[in-house]
Amino acid sequence: MTLENTDIQVVNAPAARRTGLSRRQIALLMQAPSVALIGMFFVLPILSIIVLAFWRTESYQIIPDFTLSNFSAVLFEGAYLTFFLRSFITAVAVSAVSVILAWPIAYFIVRVSGRWALLLGMLFALPFFTGEVIRLIALQGLLGPVGLINSMMMWMGLQPIRALIFTPIASAIGIFYLYLPTAVTALCLSLVNFDFRLADAARTFGAGPVRTFLEVTWPLNLVGTLVGFILCFVPALSSALAPRFLGGPNGTLFGMSLAQQFGDTGTWSLGAAMGVFLFAATLLMVFMLSRAVNPQRSGFSGGTAEREGR
Amino acid sequence: MYIEIDGISKTYGRRVKALDDINMAIDKHEFISLLGPSGSGKTTLLRIIAGLETPSAGRVLIDGKDVTGQPPHQRGVAMVFQEFLLFPHRTVVENLSFPLRMLHLERGEIARRVGWALEILSLTGLENRYPRELSGGQQQRVALGRGLVASPKLLLLDEPLANLDRELRQEMEIEIRRYQKELGIPFIYVTHNQEEALSMSDRIAVMSMGDVEDFAERTIVYNHPKTPFIARFVGRSNAFHGRVRSVSSTAMVVDCNGIAVQASNVGARPGDEVDLYIKNEKISLLRGTAAGENAPACTVRDVILRGNFTEYLLAAANGQMLVAGLPAGAETFLPGEDVTAVWDEAAVDAFVRRLQ
Repeated sequence: MTLENTDIQVVNAPAARRTGLSRRQIALLMQAPSVALIGMFFVLPILSIIVLAFWRTESYQIIPDFTLSNFSAVLFEGAYLTFFLRSFITAVAVSAVSVILAWPIAYFIVRVSGRWALLLGMLFALPFFTGEVIRLIALQGLLGPVGLINSMMMWMGLQPIRALIFTPIASAIGIFYLYLPTAVTALCLSLVNFDFRLADAARTFGAGPVRTFLEVTWPLNLVGTLVGFILCFVPALSSALAPRFLGGPNGTLFGMSLAQQFGDTGTWSLGAAMGVFLFAATLLMVFMLSRAVNPQRSGFSGGTAEREGR
Repeated sequence: MYIEIDGISKTYGRRVKALDDINMAIDKHEFISLLGPSGSGKTTLLRIIAGLETPSAGRVLIDGKDVTGQPPHQRGVAMVFQEFLLFPHRTVVENLSFPLRMLHLERGEIARRVGWALEILSLTGLENRYPRELSGGQQQRVALGRGLVASPKLLLLDEPLANLDRELRQEMEIEIRRYQKELGIPFIYVTHNQEEALSMSDRIAVMSMGDVEDFAERTIVYNHPKTPFIARFVGRSNAFHGRVRSVSSTAMVVDCNGIAVQASNVGARPGDEVDLYIKNEKISLLRGTAAGENAPACTVRDVILRGNFTEYLLAAANGQMLVAGLPAGAETFLPGEDVTAVWDEAAVDAFVRRLQ
């Protein structure tokens, strides 16, 4: 420690002379704005939601009495658990389908498209340039009773598909549409950082295309795949807009119900408790998924041993 | 022959010709080096033999069988890569057993062969380490073991020692050549390092700009370069350029800007432009001055000690710099001394410049 401090003093002699501060103090000072920002816009809101979840709201008034009634409502009033289960199943299904479809898309962008890769990647990011509501209303036009798909069906003399709009399936399609680009982006980043020469090596050592994928490409991109899954799963689980525009009467999802507590019904503390529950469920899911990965078996060292020398 | 490379060409797009009609035949017991600067096409040729790239024209035959259309995993070849390319998510044992599992060998056989590889490559004790827990030399041994363990028909090595330090490299050169002799399969070794090529190979193919300049025994490549490129690229040489002054039936005398060089007659006529190359170690030094051909008067400018030999930087009367390499234990000279650089007529590699 002493040695370290001496070093620091020497290195920073000019800065110290000018400001009278040590390197450590300067570093702390430079981090202050970002710490303040995160504190104000991330930590404080979450803390206030947690506190609010243990209070009551009565006729649009917040009453600061400690109570567990909000949580017991979330856990034991059937409707909220139903909404949550519906959200959970939707989120898992949508994330799984997104990741499965994202694999070939990302693989194509990274491996095949060559100099078009950047353009294709940008095209996939294009939906991010506009609002979620606009995109969902566009989907209404596509899926609706007289929308593009059903009009085509009827024009071909087929029965329209009723399940396409104002059903849980419709909100699942909406959520999928919103978050597929996220999965594709996550997988593209993973594949860009994957050394495809390792696949070449596997092929020269007798592995066919399928074995090469299963033994090398898949395990070494497992973390990227899980990141893609989680980045879909987290917003999908709390999705509020897609069920509102596409879900119909039986399509209420947890996030949509949560939003209603803060809007129409004015039961803010119940909404806060739902938010805390959602946060906890998400953290648990991410924790379980990260536990499922063995870093060494996914090509991450976990150690600090250097490549050269030892 | 065991391996035949028959008219292989590779073009990228319309213009870039990476390989131009390469023909080689390799015997079963041979250690072959593809030697050339970067961009000469040597790695492309190796990847075509492995099946990782498709040739634009030509065929590759291994053990009498045309494998040109076969994917890499059906060819029964193995490869050692410059960056090792060990599977980072697999331990040493798992990396070594990979090619064996792909052959669907039974467990006992896999264990036996992996044990053999661990033994001959002195990797015992590192079985359960992951690649990044190994030193560069250890990673190299695992890569080599992974190449050898399945007894391939042919082992391809793509600059496998380029990432190792000099001492380790020289140690591995001896090892690699030993494995090749013991296993009795051909090794095709790509390198830009002439020392590696010369120390290990039976025959060397010198490559330049997509062509094989010469494919011959290493002593021939070194002592009798077939082209000016080989003369420049292999060994350390002094280059002269001049016009032929006179020819006899066996010899010619070339005037190189005041230095008269006598060389074997390579079919030149008086007045022809020729390029001459003399390897550093084929020049020796005499005290004082002398007259005649192959004996320019020089001044010693600097002395560079290389350990087992000494290099003398010489300035000739016409201003040209020469380098003479004398073995350790030879007579020594001091900077500023006047000397005569002398060499044999046979030491001169001469090439007549053909008119374009």
